[in-house]
Amino acid sequence: MALDIDRYSNIDSSISRWDPRFKIFALGILIISIALFKTIPMALAALVIATMIIGMSALPLHFISHGLSFILIFLVPFFFIMPFSYPGEAAFHIMGLPFAWEGLRYATLIFTKALAIVLISFTIFGSSRFDVSMIALQKLKCPKIFVQMLLFTYRYTYVFLDEMHRMHTSMHSRGFVAGPNAQTLRIYGNFIGTLLVRSFERTDRVYKAMLSKGYQGELHSMVKFHSSFQDIFKGLIVVGLSMALLLSDYAGIYKVAERGWY
Amino acid sequence: MHISEGVLSAPVLITGIVGTAVLAAATMRKMDLEEIPKVSVITSVFFVSSLIHVPIGVTSVHLILNGLVGVILGWRAFPAVLVGLVLQAILFGHGGVTVIGVNSLMMGGGALIAYIVWKQRYHFSFKRREFIFGALAGATGVGISGIVLAVALATTGEAFHAVAGAVLLAHIPIIIIEAGVVGACAEFLSRVKPEILGGQRLAPSTTAGSDAAV
Repeated sequence: MALDIDRYSNIDSSISRWDPRFKIFALGILIISIALFKTIPMALAALVIATMIIGMSALPLHFISHGLSFILIFLVPFFFIMPFSYPGEAAFHIMGLPFAWEGLRYATLIFTKALAIVLISFTIFGSSRFDVSMIALQKLKCPKIFVQMLLFTYRYTYVFLDEMHRMHTSMHSRGFVAGPNAQTLRIYGNFIGTLLVRSFERTDRVYKAMLSKGYQGELHSMVKFHSSFQDIFKGLIVVGLSMALLLSDYAGIYKVAERGWY
Repeated sequence: MHISEGVLSAPVLITGIVGTAVLAAATMRKMDLEEIPKVSVITSVFFVSSLIHVPIGVTSVHLILNGLVGVILGWRAFPAVLVGLVLQAILFGHGGVTVIGVNSLMMGGGALIAYIVWKQRYHFSFKRREFIFGALAGATGVGISGIVLAVALATTGEAFHAVAGAVLLAHIPIIIIEAGVVGACAEFLSRVKPEILGGQRLAPSTTAGSDAAV
């Protein structure tokens, strides 16, 4: 399973050339303001902007669609739950269940906003190397310990995925079949225990190796950030745009009808 | 088990972020250098094992294991869960960036309470004590998360009351599964490598061996 979020970070684009510190900060503000939107036209505008940003980043389509497949699993059920559970007035009934347009409106709003936000966060972390993004986070005053934990966890995840696949293969080759019973739970418990013990011993070795090379809790990197006028300019555009969208959303210029579709 | 982006209202989101910041600061105090790799290991295992699916009938649920994180890391479970969720948001778009606060309170809070449950085992002594308390901790971890999730949804608006109820119901099978898995895992670890477990009272002779080399 390809999890590397940064596997296409080498693609040259105006987004990947953007200083990561400004990129994370500005697009982060855009994400927060989208999360606060309350009207569908604004959410659609956000989706258009997100598509433009990801277009500018030139990330391959299959990379994005692969990532989106995860989020769709979470979001599609909303379309089936919300219209039938909304306490508003029911427009009509399907198989005895009341269907409220307001519920569908809500589901559409949530879906559009989530899609826009996910596209933007893929752009942020897909367009520069993961370690560079993390150092940028550290420069943005994110606690040092936290950044190091993120880096370690990210790296170890691949090691453990491999380990887990190996253990899975050996379990299946011995005839294990998962089923809804107590034995499966016990076996999974032992499986995770073994994974933990092995991982622990491995990290212990890695940690000692790091200590012997002079690790003192500091993250040193060859990466140097250069911010030019362009970086600041891009940042200002994005922040300005998010503020403008948020203000017009809250000013209610799209609220034509009190209980209408907007 | 995640709240998706765009569902919750701003006050709920802000409460989540503030609560998470306070808890993270409190639980990350006096964290040693050598703890960073240890906490990261558990975080990755937590992250990876959420890919294990247990079949129930025609469907399947994936493991959450926030209770197990509490059992192993103690108070450090909170930053671990936070890191795990940030990575999930970055890698999969699971959950999302603005809901990280609420999600961490939900899962990390469950982990902390699971640890409190797990610590109570020294007040008792019976056969398979580690299994029973591991199972209780596993069930509490997920159970608390389910309740916090339902409350977060219910306070967001009346529209979500039905969803909140459905969420609580859906947690019942997950609680049973987690109890079994975490119980078995805690029992296994207490036999094989007890020094991994959180809040472990070790006899003086056993502490010397494992940590002296570091």
